[in-house]
Amino acid sequence: MPVVKQLLDLAAVGSSRLQLHWVSAAEGQLFADYVTELSDLIGKLGPFKPADFKLELAAAATVLKSTRIRWLIGMDRQITERENVYHEKVDPETYQKLVSQAVVEEYQKGLILEAIGDKPQSVREMADKTGLPVYTVSLRLNDLEKAGQAQFQGFEGTTAKFVLMAA
Amino acid sequence: MQETYEPKILAFLCNWCAYAGADLAGVSRFQYPPSIRVIRTMCSGRVDPFYVVEGLQNGYDGVFVFG
Repeated sequence: MPVVKQLLDLAAVGSSRLQLHWVSAAEGQLFADYVTELSDLIGKLGPFKPADFKLELAAAATVLKSTRIRWLIGMDRQITERENVYHEKVDPETYQKLVSQAVVEEYQKGLILEAIGDKPQSVREMADKTGLPVYTVSLRLNDLEKAGQAQFQGFEGTTAKFVLMAA
Repeated sequence: MQETYEPKILAFLCNWCAYAGADLAGVSRFQYPPSIRVIRTMCSGRVDPFYVVEGLQNGYDGVFVFG
């Protein structure tokens, strides 16, 4: 859940739109209180328009489906409480940092993948669409090329254009 | 306060905890707003992070997970 919250913040949706609470079967009053309080909170945030966040949400979805993030989340306990295959134990803080760094990177990649869409784009166009700095875009684009998800298509004038690679 | 806007909220409730809790709230007639749409899951661990994003994509204003 911390990962999803971080993602919602990254996507500028706001993490308070997601709420996780524990209510036992015997706590009907607590449940009613939570629903009242939280609906009020969401009500104050106002209606959510998915159309305004299409790119961001699609990118977030890509992150949550990515193998890297899935592995990292799934191995949480294994790595911080027991040990990895090299008999190393990572302390939870370092691990948290690692995960949030990975989430940011994957999210940027997701944004770029969404921005490219079906027609060739230059780095500058992608930066404009995603709101990321040009430098970041070219770094992530590099990652995507290495991973075989995007490739250089050719020059249009003097501008390099990139396309998605079929999975 | 004047209520004009009622948020639409997706709620995932664990069958054994919160769903029973919600049932109890109903049986005991505690008042709570009608803004939530409930999906009962066999365990709140069953809720994939991706469902949250999907819920938002489909136009819900918020997502609750109660376990």
